[in-house]
Amino acid sequence: MHAIEARGVWKLFGKTEALRGITLSIDSGMNIILGPNGAGKSTLLRCIDGLHRVDHGSIRVNGLDPYTNEGVHEGLSLLTDNYALYDHLTVIDNLRFFGRLYGMPDSDIRIKSKSLLKEVGALEYSDKKVAVLSRGTKQKVAFCRAVLNEPKMILLDEPTAFLDVEASESIRRHLMEKEREGAVVIFVTQKVDEVTRFNANIFIMRNGRIAANVNSAELYRKILKGSIIGIRLARPISASAINNMEGLEYVNSNRATYIRVRIDSPSGVNKALKELMARGALIAGVDYTEPLIEKISFG
Amino acid sequence: MDTGKSYAIAIKDIKEVFSSISIYGPMLAVPLFFAIVLPVLTFYVTIYAAPAIASRISTLATVPAALHGAGAATFMAYFSVNILGPIFLTMPILTAAVIAADSFAGEKERKTAESLLATPVSASELLLGKILASFIPTVILTLVVFAIYGSITEYLSIITFHLHILPTLPWLMMILTAPFLAIVTIGIIVLVSAHVRGIKEAQQVSTLLILPILIMPFASILGLADLTVGFFAYTILLLSLVSIVLFYIGVKTFRKESML
Repeated sequence: MHAIEARGVWKLFGKTEALRGITLSIDSGMNIILGPNGAGKSTLLRCIDGLHRVDHGSIRVNGLDPYTNEGVHEGLSLLTDNYALYDHLTVIDNLRFFGRLYGMPDSDIRIKSKSLLKEVGALEYSDKKVAVLSRGTKQKVAFCRAVLNEPKMILLDEPTAFLDVEASESIRRHLMEKEREGAVVIFVTQKVDEVTRFNANIFIMRNGRIAANVNSAELYRKILKGSIIGIRLARPISASAINNMEGLEYVNSNRATYIRVRIDSPSGVNKALKELMARGALIAGVDYTEPLIEKISFG
Repeated sequence: MDTGKSYAIAIKDIKEVFSSISIYGPMLAVPLFFAIVLPVLTFYVTIYAAPAIASRISTLATVPAALHGAGAATFMAYFSVNILGPIFLTMPILTAAVIAADSFAGEKERKTAESLLATPVSASELLLGKILASFIPTVILTLVVFAIYGSITEYLSIITFHLHILPTLPWLMMILTAPFLAIVTIGIIVLVSAHVRGIKEAQQVSTLLILPILIMPFASILGLADLTVGFFAYTILLLSLVSIVLFYIGVKTFRKESML
């Protein structure tokens, strides 16, 4: 029995086919559903959570239909992209309410809420009404709500979309810790950059279908094939010292502090860095222009 | 069924309603205004116009014997129970309509239903929670309103006619009817709310529920219905059965997707 299993799942909204024969199985670890807008990622997540009844096929969570068995939700939690918090209640009242629905004692809710809010940097907003919070803070609170009951399966829809770097990192750390503790984590995103921060099982979705199921290494191979990386230099280097470098696309100045290099494979990053260091460069950092998921071929 | 979850839902909804004065302000103000103004107005009419009105309407064949040749005190006693009573009986409907419509259709409108439905809460726990959230404030407010209007009527009667008008047994039975009326109203609104898009639509449908109640005073004047103990006992029995059926239908027809 798989933790999550979907077999030939179709979901229609009127004449729109949101999911078109999805088949997948998930047993453990970090799982990411990656795809462009309208690919059906959020719908799939809601079907796994049992919010939507599938039109054809079946979804099982620990062998049970999540639509008809509310007991499934004892160990399953969902963070949707609209946060779904109660605006007229305070942050702590929101968390208390959801904790009670998961059967948690009030004392546990209080301790756990405080710890989670502190972890994501939202403790100071405990007694504020949700209505007055910024979008980012609402997202932090919604994340706290989603993991309050320490679920064995966590479903998240774009969990870091509007967060600052620090909060995003704390959420990633939390998810990785949960993964190590044995929880199944599934989150959907359209950002390739987000995916590359995890060692995950990745489902690529397009047009309501699973286009590919790859791991992080395979995704990197696709991303970095023919892509351009940016290299920041800690001290300027003469442009003439690097102008014959293989794949060089751009130099920001005669006294270069930032260059771009085209590479053909993940090993190309190492190769470019070694070559730069051999020419006397001091590397400050590397980044790459995020490719649109639509542009990556998984054929 | 875990009633603790239903209770948590009810407490959350009540907190939400009473955190916004735009929701609870009119809901409290209108019944309280009528509870004070209507008995005073009745007293005024009784003193200055009752004999004339009484003699005029006592010529109608359908007027109950209680009013024939009525003096001011009898008129006030009749009016306070048979006319004002049913008017105040619309209060549980109005209050329940506001809270219940906000409670269910509001979740849909504010898109909070997703997180609620993603928790381990069954349809019956959810419905019970939503019913309680509307029922508790409605019943409290209705009792307060009846108490205010009853007290004012009784006070004015004592100081003017040296007579105790209230409470009478039919009047107490009328108060007892209010919670049952509230629960049926809530049941209907919850059912309607699950199938409409927003709060306004749910409230519009629910205002239709007032019509049968407003017939009561006219039926009473015209002698078509006597607001007796028996009448209210049968009404309570009927409302109880309807509320059970509505809860059963609500649980059976509840579809998560209709709330999203």
